[in-house]
Amino acid sequence: MLPQCTGREVAARGLCMPSSLICTLTAIALTLLSTTAAAAPFAYITNQGSNDVSVIDLASQQVVSTIGVGRSPAGVVVASRAGKVFVSNPDSRSISVIDMHDQRVVGTLVAGDGPVGIDASPDGKLLLAADWYANRLMVFDASSTEAQQAPLASIEVGRAPAGVAAHTDNNTVYVAERDDDSVAVVGVRERKVLARVKVGSHPFALCFDAVRQRLYALNVQSDDVSVIDTRMLGDTHTLKVIATVKVGKAPYGAALAQNGALLYVTNQHDDSVSVIDADSLKVLRTLSGFGYPEGVAAHGDKVYVVNWMDDNVSVLDAASGKPLRQIATGKNSRGFGAFIGAAALP
Amino acid sequence: MPMKLLGGWLTPLAAFAMFSVVPLTGDAHGPTRQKVVEKVTINAPAAAVWGRIKNFDALKDWHPVVAESPASQGNTVGSVRSIKLKGGGELIESLEGYDDAAMKYSYRAKDGGALPVTNYTSAITVTASGNQSIVEWRGAFYRGHPGNEPPPEQNDDAAVKAITGVYQSGLANLKKLAEGG
Repeated sequence: MLPQCTGREVAARGLCMPSSLICTLTAIALTLLSTTAAAAPFAYITNQGSNDVSVIDLASQQVVSTIGVGRSPAGVVVASRAGKVFVSNPDSRSISVIDMHDQRVVGTLVAGDGPVGIDASPDGKLLLAADWYANRLMVFDASSTEAQQAPLASIEVGRAPAGVAAHTDNNTVYVAERDDDSVAVVGVRERKVLARVKVGSHPFALCFDAVRQRLYALNVQSDDVSVIDTRMLGDTHTLKVIATVKVGKAPYGAALAQNGALLYVTNQHDDSVSVIDADSLKVLRTLSGFGYPEGVAAHGDKVYVVNWMDDNVSVLDAASGKPLRQIATGKNSRGFGAFIGAAALP
Repeated sequence: MPMKLLGGWLTPLAAFAMFSVVPLTGDAHGPTRQKVVEKVTINAPAAAVWGRIKNFDALKDWHPVVAESPASQGNTVGSVRSIKLKGGGELIESLEGYDDAAMKYSYRAKDGGALPVTNYTSAITVTASGNQSIVEWRGAFYRGHPGNEPPPEQNDDAAVKAITGVYQSGLANLKKLAEGG
């Protein structure tokens, strides 16, 4: 299940170096990275109540620094190819730019009315932010730290755009349109919505599965996951929901683990996590013992679940779901996005 | 521009109540979810403490500001508790989870009750600690006012203060009762 390097990916040290993909590629690539003495991976946990980010060194399993950002930070994306971590601050209407080498804020971008869900294109060139209040997807130059930079594009989407997921083609972007119960397929170059697919009730988080060419949309009101086949059928750009998987109450985060074999879904109102076999789409087990879990990400043989109520991260063994430890973070921790990564080496 | 809750989902009632056109001037400060966690340690065995609170309709027997708390279907998930407070005010809550073995139940409040909160969910748990018990009461909610400029009695601080008051007074009284006070 190794990713094939596309013409636009750079092969470095014999590996494809994708950056900020939610789910599969991050898990695979970082597993490979850790065996070739590459840059250390960290988890960047947004703490909405303390206006900062807890930086966890995954090797030592400890918080090594806390970085102050804007007000009520929620969304996060580690853009490895850009060497940056982006954090959305909806109450400051801004996005903080953290340099992964220095582990400090190097810029704050003015970003619409309410940036929440963010992602980055795998090539590290584009920062993508859904503007929750203004119903648009903002596309920024990920290499620029200039505060007042105008977005490269501002594309109208549906109502209450929440989760954002970039495709490996570095042009297609999926946006959950929460109040429309749909997912939009946006073309950045085309500057418009190319297609739409109806999903369950109130989709919030999205998880792109590059290997299977699928998108998982988490529906917080219908308590299920819509599994979308993302292969465009000819020129019709038609997307299909191929399955709907029932999970617990208010699913808010999803991540692929174990080389993409397992899909972990956090059920915020049940204080539980559903573990789904990503091939058969069967729920294998439901783990308990969490506190309003939201963000989730995987690295190597572990899964990291962010507990908003408990202000900590639960570390699990990815294969079995067994809890290993808890790491205390800041207040009202969310980790909404792809929060694990390592700076890609120059 | 309709105001929406950040990171939360709206019940149909809440969504209707919140549809209001609010000008986005100055700093947008939309509502973010708040939480309160209160704990008390009680010098009594967990089973006994749980016995006092385990029935969804028993709230009036241990919470000092509750006058009535009948529940429509006992401890069955979906049961609706209609609380009347001493001195006026009402709250309607529905049971979302019940686990007798784990000594825990959780519920959701219908919007528009006596407390300045919306989208309010809560859980109460009793845990044994030797011969003592630890009771934890925790809740998540948004403030009463959905817009940018909430009046002081409906802002985040007011919401947190109100829920904290409910939990602290309830747990303090439970401790008193359970310890034979």
